[in-house]
Amino acid sequence: MKKTHSHDWHPLFWWLWACAGSVMLLRNSRADSSWIIALSFSIILAAITLTRQFPLSSSSRRLLRLGYIIALVATGFRMIIAITLGVPMPGRVLFQLPQIDLPNFLVGITIGGPVTSQRLAGAMSESLVFAGIVILFATANALTTPHRLLRVLPSRLHGIGLATSIATSVAPQSAESFTRVRQAHRLRGRQLNSWNSIGRVAVPVLEESLERSIDLAVALESRGYGYFQSPSRYRPEKWKREELLLLSSFAALVIVSVPSGSTSLVFSLFAFFFLFAPGLFA
Amino acid sequence: MIDFKEVSLIYPGSERTVFDRVSFSVDEGEMVLVIGHTGAGKSSILKLINGIVPHHTHGILNGDICVDGRSTKDHKPGALSDLIGVVSQNPLHGFVCDIVEDEIAFSMETRGFTPDVMRKRMEEVLDLLSLSELRRRDIRTLSGGEQQRVAIASALVTQPRVLLLDEPTSALDPIAAEEVLAILNRLVDDLGLTVVLAEHKLERVISFVDRILLIGDSGDVAFDNTRAILSYSPIAPPLVELARVVGADEIPLSVREFRKNSFDIGVMEPRKASSNPSVIASLQDVTVIYDGFNKVSALRNLSLKVHEGEIVAIMGRNGAGKSTLLKSFLGLSPVISGDIRIKDVEPLKTSTEAISTLVGYVPQDPSDLLFATSINEECAISDEDHNLQAGTTLAIYQDLMDIPNVNAHPRDISEGQRLGLVLSIVLSRSPSLILLDEPTRGLDYEAKRSLVEILKRLSSEKNCAIVISTHDVELVSELAGRVIFVAEGEVVADGSTREILTASPAFAPQVVKAFPNSGALTLNDVKKLLSKRVGR
Repeated sequence: MKKTHSHDWHPLFWWLWACAGSVMLLRNSRADSSWIIALSFSIILAAITLTRQFPLSSSSRRLLRLGYIIALVATGFRMIIAITLGVPMPGRVLFQLPQIDLPNFLVGITIGGPVTSQRLAGAMSESLVFAGIVILFATANALTTPHRLLRVLPSRLHGIGLATSIATSVAPQSAESFTRVRQAHRLRGRQLNSWNSIGRVAVPVLEESLERSIDLAVALESRGYGYFQSPSRYRPEKWKREELLLLSSFAALVIVSVPSGSTSLVFSLFAFFFLFAPGLFA
Repeated sequence: MIDFKEVSLIYPGSERTVFDRVSFSVDEGEMVLVIGHTGAGKSSILKLINGIVPHHTHGILNGDICVDGRSTKDHKPGALSDLIGVVSQNPLHGFVCDIVEDEIAFSMETRGFTPDVMRKRMEEVLDLLSLSELRRRDIRTLSGGEQQRVAIASALVTQPRVLLLDEPTSALDPIAAEEVLAILNRLVDDLGLTVVLAEHKLERVISFVDRILLIGDSGDVAFDNTRAILSYSPIAPPLVELARVVGADEIPLSVREFRKNSFDIGVMEPRKASSNPSVIASLQDVTVIYDGFNKVSALRNLSLKVHEGEIVAIMGRNGAGKSTLLKSFLGLSPVISGDIRIKDVEPLKTSTEAISTLVGYVPQDPSDLLFATSINEECAISDEDHNLQAGTTLAIYQDLMDIPNVNAHPRDISEGQRLGLVLSIVLSRSPSLILLDEPTRGLDYEAKRSLVEILKRLSSEKNCAIVISTHDVELVSELAGRVIFVAEGEVVADGSTREILTASPAFAPQVVKAFPNSGALTLNDVKKLLSKRVGR
């Protein structure tokens, strides 16, 4: 069966897919850092290629981009901290940073100083694991929509459902109105590079999102959301064979990787292939 | 079906009584139109019917409202949802799902309908609203009219007995509006549905409605049949104004009724073409492509010129590329090829801030530009931004219209006043080209009249060019000298307003439809012709 749209998949599938990828990354974090780097890169690559396989709406694309930015900034930040701060590590010295002397009670911790190959590799692998997890969930979020997830959740959670649907529809819409309002302000002839001009854009954007949230809450109320005891499903979401097959392969891969605790090039390739597998149905 | 008994409503913190002991009752199977000035309480009436006021907003309510015997005092909106379907002013804000079919199913799912009932109802409602082909589409990719139909479908699918609609056609082009209204009319005829709707553009709806609820400014209402209300109402469509001018015996509800009178007003002399003024802005072979999953070209090799002192209206269906065209003048749309010039400046090679001294842009939602807490502050910031003498912007605003209290919050003033405020901020830079994107959404007849006056004065006194994109044919006939018709990103017609508007039946204003061969375009034209007859 061809699944041309990521929405044809069970809404939980993509979240489980992201979980499987994260477990693969985390289970192996004690292994040799060069393999972790290889594994992280292949998983990130699988996630990015997947998002190119399926059509995405402009708002989910925007959210995905936000995810990438968060991953990038966090990785950079993590790298800087890991390189400059820590205990001295053995290995070949790559370059020298100016060292700051610390008081005596902080024996063994240095700021700056020689940067060895091992420290660089360690910092990189840790940051990449984090970036990988952020990117996996950003991808899952772009490929499903929270609205659909809402529909497979138990109906008793209606208050949570209401809050989630408001929050999730407001976030991408606010991103859209932010772009629009910013543009309008530049047309008012205002340079928008200073900090105090942020308020000028934020006020109309926040007002609009508040208005939208209220509109949505009123609309849900008018449609009787949460007033009836036993909601039903128009087209119940069912697990399909290929989805179950893929999920069980993820599980197998995770289980295999746990006791060995090691990674290899073969494992990275496997991880890449399995995580990319849904793209073969696109 | 709907009974208002001695209903009074005030909002805390406001001195105005919205309704003062109002009583009326709407019968089953009736189509009722709610009219009134902006802010008079049209939306409040609709919200009172299904209990959103006072359950969701903090209005103070006295009296009793019953729908089919159920009082809104004891029933929250959700508990009335089996009886009342609601289509809100901006349906896009209320959508919960992404796909058309899911959205329609959502109303049934919350009510716990069995799957086979849902299947059947779904097919019925999709057919009823001609949505079958769109059932798997993403709602956000649909046009305004299609979205409106989805909203009506999801309200109707649970088979309510009352349908409430707040300005269902204000964002739609004339053709889409006609489709939606024809469907509503059929629902009333076939299903015996009770429909209550609020609408500013009376010319679109009066031929369909049975009775009108006119909300006065002092908390009173009048409820009577359409003709009776329109015989004295200060808010009336152009056709009724026309009947008043020519002294027709009966108030016409449709152009056909009016034509039965067979008035003869003579023929207007064609207007002389003006001399060649200089070109202010030009687009040459402009192509714009939006980068999406499917590359959509919004403009295709489009060329046009705008001259000094000209008022140009850009018209066309929803999604034809009107807004993109306006943004191209500013160099803000993703232009792939082509040449854009405002006087000697090329917006594509100039910073947006620099363009803003040449081109004034009023966005679709004027409040996008406003952020201060009072009118005074807003004007002061505008002066400061552009190094103008203090008070300049406020003086422009005062010159444009009678302004409200300068300490009022820009959110609390009327739509028309807000538009005026934004316009004065834009004008403070004395631009040579002014762009307005759909300025009449939510404006009543009075506010529109004042907008027409303001813009006409600007173009004649300041000699600047004005380009306006709009669906409002009545506004175009009053205001513009030239109309450019856009379809699928191309200019399909470009000529004088008279020429273009009389050629297309869907886009013809009511005066043209009433006197097709006279050459008259506006009420003023008719008055002029009539005075000539008297003089002879």
